[in-house]
Amino acid sequence: MKKWQPYLLLSPLILLGLLFLLGVGNALVQSLGYIPAFNMKEITLKYYRQVFNEPALFASVKVSLVIAAVSSVLAAVFGVVLCAALTANGRVRNKVLQIVRIPILVPHTIAALFIIMFFSQNGLLARILFHMGTLGSQADFPAILFTTNNIGIIMAYLWKEIPFVAYFVLALMSSINATLGEAAENLGAPGIKSFLHITLPLCMPAVNKAFLIIFAFSFGAYELPFLLGATIPKALPVQAYIEYINPDLRHRAYAMAMNGVMLLITLAISAVYYWLSRRTYDKGGNRFGS
Amino acid sequence: MELSLKDISVTLSGEEILKSIDLTIEDGAIISLLGASGCGKSTLLKTIAGIITPSGGSVFLNGSCADNLPPHRRGTVIVFQDLRLFPHMTVADNISFPLKMRGVSKEQCRKTAVELLEKVQLEGYGERKINEMSGGQLQRVALARALAAKPNVLLLDEPFSSLDENLRQDMRKLVLKLQKEYRITTILVTHDRQEALCMSDRIALMKSGKILQYDTPERIYHAPASREVADFFSENAYIDGTVTDHAFTCDIAAFRTEMPDGPYQAVLRPGAVRIGPWDGKRDFQVTEISYRGEDYGISLKDQTNGLVLNTSVPSPCMFKVGDLVSVQLDQEKIILLPR
Ligand SMILES: Nc1ncnc2c1ncn2[C@@H]1O[C@H](COP(=O)(O)OP(=O)(O)O)[C@@H](O)[C@H]1O
Ligand SMILES: [Mg+2]
Repeated sequence: MKKWQPYLLLSPLILLGLLFLLGVGNALVQSLGYIPAFNMKEITLKYYRQVFNEPALFASVKVSLVIAAVSSVLAAVFGVVLCAALTANGRVRNKVLQIVRIPILVPHTIAALFIIMFFSQNGLLARILFHMGTLGSQADFPAILFTTNNIGIIMAYLWKEIPFVAYFVLALMSSINATLGEAAENLGAPGIKSFLHITLPLCMPAVNKAFLIIFAFSFGAYELPFLLGATIPKALPVQAYIEYINPDLRHRAYAMAMNGVMLLITLAISAVYYWLSRRTYDKGGNRFGS
Repeated sequence: MELSLKDISVTLSGEEILKSIDLTIEDGAIISLLGASGCGKSTLLKTIAGIITPSGGSVFLNGSCADNLPPHRRGTVIVFQDLRLFPHMTVADNISFPLKMRGVSKEQCRKTAVELLEKVQLEGYGERKINEMSGGQLQRVALARALAAKPNVLLLDEPFSSLDENLRQDMRKLVLKLQKEYRITTILVTHDRQEALCMSDRIALMKSGKILQYDTPERIYHAPASREVADFFSENAYIDGTVTDHAFTCDIAAFRTEMPDGPYQAVLRPGAVRIGPWDGKRDFQVTEISYRGEDYGISLKDQTNGLVLNTSVPSPCMFKVGDLVSVQLDQEKIILLPR
């Protein structure tokens, strides 16, 4: 292998990475008020100050954090449970896996439409329950869409992310289960103990990665809160999008500052999480499969 | 604990891997499963341990059927070929894992781990991480962990194959010592005939999912049940002949025997073939000489009928390829197999 060969093979990835970084960098520069096209050339933190002085911001941050945290934690937990079930039932696995793959492939907007179809107050479920006489009127169906409890958004995320976590962890979990898990049972550990003491701890690096991915995504993604969320307060990405499409182009710096805040929060949380998970797994022996 | 297999068959992915295996190991004995790679040795161990469910037959532990015992309650502990130590635990935690699973107190776990570490000559290594140990040390940790589970039956899957020769000798001694000390019924899987011969009370020789012969090392070597068994232990030549009136006769030999009349095949092991005498009929030609340290291996070919014999001569070797020599057979060492 020649020295430059790995770089050549990686070049498409590097190119994409550069484009991405360019975009992020551009946004950050704009958030500092430097947009020569609109004749804005002064570097300033003014827009960040404006953003932080906006009382609605904290409400938006909170909404986004709650949605991301609740959906990601639940998705990680149930994803691992699903993954364990798939691992334990080797025979049906491949058939079930086809079904598990569907939610991963379906776009978020379609997921939102499903949720509206089934769970809105004039959706399928409400109608069925009404006709069965369980509900006095369709309006008695609990409001989970377009309200501040954000249950609809979280449900839509879970529908997509539980399979994602399961799929992401499955290869590692199967291989650990077939070797070390088998050894643990052979040494006298019942299946559940073998899972909790051996297989799960060794899968945690993969679970952590999956968690970080879905957390960062659900914190920053805009479709689901836009389609299923309350009017006020709006999730951070929705708010940022609304600022972005403001007809006054000079308002863009403000929108970009909001994106900057989102980026900072994501980075900070990822850093903390990364640090926490490292600390946990460096205590034991070496880490497996990561 | 006595282990007994009755008519065990195993099918994996539609392929019959084990075919009607019968085997009994008395309490406290150590036997070898000897066979070429891929003949089903590991599969048999996993079947005994309940990891693989046989398609037919039963496993008995001390006479009672173990088929419905799940793996974690069988007490048939495997030291896997790839060891399978837990990488996220220390050496001591690995060893006390089986105890922890039984709810043994932390204090007792620690004590047992220290004790077992001493038994496998790894005093003071308890707090090491798994990735800080050498191959030979890991081998011993795996052995200690298996012993901690207080096995009814210990199943060793090629435990020495990854070690270099010196370590291998040490480990063999250690295993034998501990096996005798704890009197654990043990199956040692190996593809090394020397290892099987020197370590076991009995040897079960396997080929393509079947047991060809199950016997003591001496008998399996000196009284092989078939040509396949004889071939596993040495490079033999075979000559057809017949026994009539207590005398075996073939092309190149004739001697007295107690075998009943009938057609036989004489197994000529290298040890049964000697070069000489000098004034004998020189109808064998030296076709190959290979140096082996202690001695030379020599292949000889009969000029008249093409029969190839193998033998050895002590170092230094005074022959060279192409020499013509005479050959003598040691009648005591010739084995007769009915044809
Ligand atoms: N899960 C499996 N599915 C199908 N065939 C298998 C499986 N495991 C092992 N085998 C086959 O069974 C045979 C015996 O394997 P194994 O017991 O590992 O042999 P050994 O330990 O004697 O080398 C091999 O031919 C192997 O390919
Ligand atoms: Mg094997």
